[in-house]
Amino acid sequence: MLPGPGSLPRLTRSQYRHAITDLLGPAIVVPAALEPDIPIEGSVALGTTTLAVSARGVGLYERAAYAIAEQAMAEGPARDALVTCAPTGPGDAACAGEVLAPLARRAYRRTPSPEELEALVAVAVNAGATLGDFHDGLEYGIAAILMTPDFLYRPALGGAAPEGGALSQLELASRLAFFLWDTLPDDALLDHAEAGTLEGAGLEAEVDRMLADPRLAQGLRAFATDWLELDRLSNLSKDSTMFRAASAELGPDAREETLRFLEHHFLTEEVPYRDIFTSRTTFVNRRLASIYGVEAPAREGFGAVTLPEDGERIGLLGHASLLSLHAHATSTSPTLRGKFIRTTLLCTEIPPPPASVETTIPPPSVDATTLRDRLAAHRDSPACAACHTALDPIGLGLEQFDGIGALRTLDNGAPIDASGHLDDRPFTTGRQLAELVAEHPELVSCFVERVFRYATGSEPEGDDEGALHDANQRFVGGGTRYRALVRAIALSPSFRAVRAPHAEAR
Amino acid sequence: MSRLRIHRRTMLRGMLGGTAVGVGLPLLELFLDPPYSARAECVAFPKRFGTWFWGNGVLPERFRPTGTGPGFELSEQLAPLAPMHERGKISVVSGLRVMTPNTVPHGSGPAGFLGGADMYSPDGNASSGTFPGPSIDQIMANAIGDQTLLPSLEIGVQRADGSISWRGRNAMNTIESSPIELFGTLFGAGFRAPGDTSGPDPRLGLRQSVLDVVNDQAGRLRPRLGLSDRARLDAHLDAIRSIETRIARLQENPPSFEACMLPTMPEADYPDVMGRPDMDARSDVMADLLAMALACDQTRIFTVMYSQPVNNVLYTDRSAGHHQLTHDEPGDQPEVNEIVQGIMGRLNRFLERLDAVAEGDETLLDHSTVLCTSDVSFGRTHSLDEYPVVLAGGGCGSFKMGIHHVSPGENICRLSYSLLQSMDVPVSTFGEGPAQTDVGISEIEET
Repeated sequence: MLPGPGSLPRLTRSQYRHAITDLLGPAIVVPAALEPDIPIEGSVALGTTTLAVSARGVGLYERAAYAIAEQAMAEGPARDALVTCAPTGPGDAACAGEVLAPLARRAYRRTPSPEELEALVAVAVNAGATLGDFHDGLEYGIAAILMTPDFLYRPALGGAAPEGGALSQLELASRLAFFLWDTLPDDALLDHAEAGTLEGAGLEAEVDRMLADPRLAQGLRAFATDWLELDRLSNLSKDSTMFRAASAELGPDAREETLRFLEHHFLTEEVPYRDIFTSRTTFVNRRLASIYGVEAPAREGFGAVTLPEDGERIGLLGHASLLSLHAHATSTSPTLRGKFIRTTLLCTEIPPPPASVETTIPPPSVDATTLRDRLAAHRDSPACAACHTALDPIGLGLEQFDGIGALRTLDNGAPIDASGHLDDRPFTTGRQLAELVAEHPELVSCFVERVFRYATGSEPEGDDEGALHDANQRFVGGGTRYRALVRAIALSPSFRAVRAPHAEAR
Repeated sequence: MSRLRIHRRTMLRGMLGGTAVGVGLPLLELFLDPPYSARAECVAFPKRFGTWFWGNGVLPERFRPTGTGPGFELSEQLAPLAPMHERGKISVVSGLRVMTPNTVPHGSGPAGFLGGADMYSPDGNASSGTFPGPSIDQIMANAIGDQTLLPSLEIGVQRADGSISWRGRNAMNTIESSPIELFGTLFGAGFRAPGDTSGPDPRLGLRQSVLDVVNDQAGRLRPRLGLSDRARLDAHLDAIRSIETRIARLQENPPSFEACMLPTMPEADYPDVMGRPDMDARSDVMADLLAMALACDQTRIFTVMYSQPVNNVLYTDRSAGHHQLTHDEPGDQPEVNEIVQGIMGRLNRFLERLDAVAEGDETLLDHSTVLCTSDVSFGRTHSLDEYPVVLAGGGCGSFKMGIHHVSPGENICRLSYSLLQSMDVPVSTFGEGPAQTDVGISEIEET
């Protein structure tokens, strides 16, 4: 079996934030300005293993490290929890070591060597002496930990890179924790790795413990954000004269709905994967409730609602998040919505439009009032037809929802026709489209691929196909429940080993 | 201060006219060294290069000026640059073409022009790829970036995650689009304006001791990595090294440039107005910060990404986002036309900010070459011929200003080559395959 290549993923922004919380407590405010998470082939997980950090990003890491260390060493209960010894002076090396050793172990996800610890202590002691204050000095020791590659990257190299091979147990612990929890391993997991008990029944027991831990929700949120590109909702651009309910809060609210929805269906109810496309349960606040035309479940914050039995809105495809993301600033886009279903949900590659083709959609006219009519012209042109016939007839099924996901009956004054087809299976409403997506034969295996890619930070390749097939079997065997899939991937040999990186292998 | 710029042609003319009797042969040789055709020196002031970039191209027929040479007239779309044109501080180059393949709409243009080849992807799927290698600004930064606090500076007006500045494959320079963060980077901890005699911040030395630990830790990790990850770690360490350089320079006395002063701190945020970004306010404040960064010689190489490739910025009063309009607006695209004019208006304002900074008898703009360009030519068709190119400033007389040069079908990498030469970057060729060149565009170079 050929596993993914040895890799050195850099922490995403959310991993960085979660790690800081785990290391230094929930009161720390992590600066918002951090290197952005850049997707490669639509995947941030791939981006973190492929792209180099920018110089600006490294500068931001430095500023964040000092901003965080300063908060951690500000007088108060959080500092008292970290600094349990009483310093005898600004340069108390023993006390500095007592504070820095456990921090470095958790941050590096391994016990630091005596030389490594000595260097950290020397920085803190020297700074303490220069500034005349023990805690001010300790800030520099903490900042040093946060700036090392040992913290910012998570090596998954196998014991003997460049040949690859089985991950060390510590590397495996890291990979598990970031996959399942989106954060550092906890002490229990590290202890297992250092004791060499992360294999066989011991590994299964740890994975089951992690699957039962509330931090699994944090891991699911991180996966879903990458899978559905929900980060893009932070910078949603919608014309509020065209869409009266659009506001700066719409994007973040819509993201929260989708994340709560997935937590509920995947982790609480543990429904089969297909069911998320036909579920009538979702989570809204007042703003989303008014867009959906349902009664707000609570005065403040989010609550569960049941969508009408005979309504158009149903399942994940009825979410304002996806309907907004895959639309334009002032209009819908059946093309973008079709492309989302094709590529993200069904894993079909769609090439970009060829360069140097005429791309203009004809303006509204007497013969072509609606966007549907105007798009038909797209598909008359042979250059466009090849792809657009695979996209537009799907996306047209969601034309009943405007560019932010509100229900509508008219487009440019003419009644909406939401009929279309998905792989020659016709539908007339968005609700029927959702049912066809839920039944689609590629749906389940595509999801397995996406979770696998997220877990390993590499495209499945070669004998990974075997691992995918195996994970697929187990997913189906487990009733296509999310936990069953995560468990299957976490325990698969492909997840626990790496092959030589590409440059060496070829 | 007198006009100190030395020009090769001026010198020769002077010498041939018999007035430069005292000039010895070695100096003559210095000026006649053959590959140095586009080089001119900025004496007493640094020479800068910057790219000012906007996404989604132009309407080529309404962008191209009429007339050629010095007497040209601005086009409809270029009209907002009239103040700069009247001062003789811009030139337009028409007819240039990206010779490398056009496989990725909005990607192949910048990659071909600034990177010399089409987008790169390990699996051959260029649509998801990266630049093929370093962009010209980064080739320059590699050569001269160690002379300043920052090797280069990449900033943006639109909040965006894309970039047109790359250090190499898979190594994108992310764009700073937050004015307050940019202020912190440029004028935050440790910055001292000229004449500040307070002495260096003692914390700078402590920061260096932290970076020593980072380097040692990286040294332990590095031998275990495969080649591509080693390159990624090295990129990280290069960035650490540039922080070290910055710390070392901040510990020295600040250089004395008259125009250098601490700018006003920007607002914490420039929020959207009715779902539309406040591009004008954002553009102006970023221009002010950049102008001061250059005046204080914090960097000599910059990128301003006004808007990113394929951006769908929803401009004030427009019926749809920019990218959507370039494709969907019928007829002769009056809305797209107004958007491009608006962008040229911002460009003019940007150049005016640089031109308002006096450096001796000249200005910061005179001591800079600003390449103003986009990701495609005609947005609707993603075409890469008739590429939009405006040069501003002229880089201390490196380039002829106030002219319209037309060169139908010319390889655009010849311009890239000229730009590299103008910054004294020793490359013998630029571009791959059909784009490869070892000559610049001599007609626009001052000789």
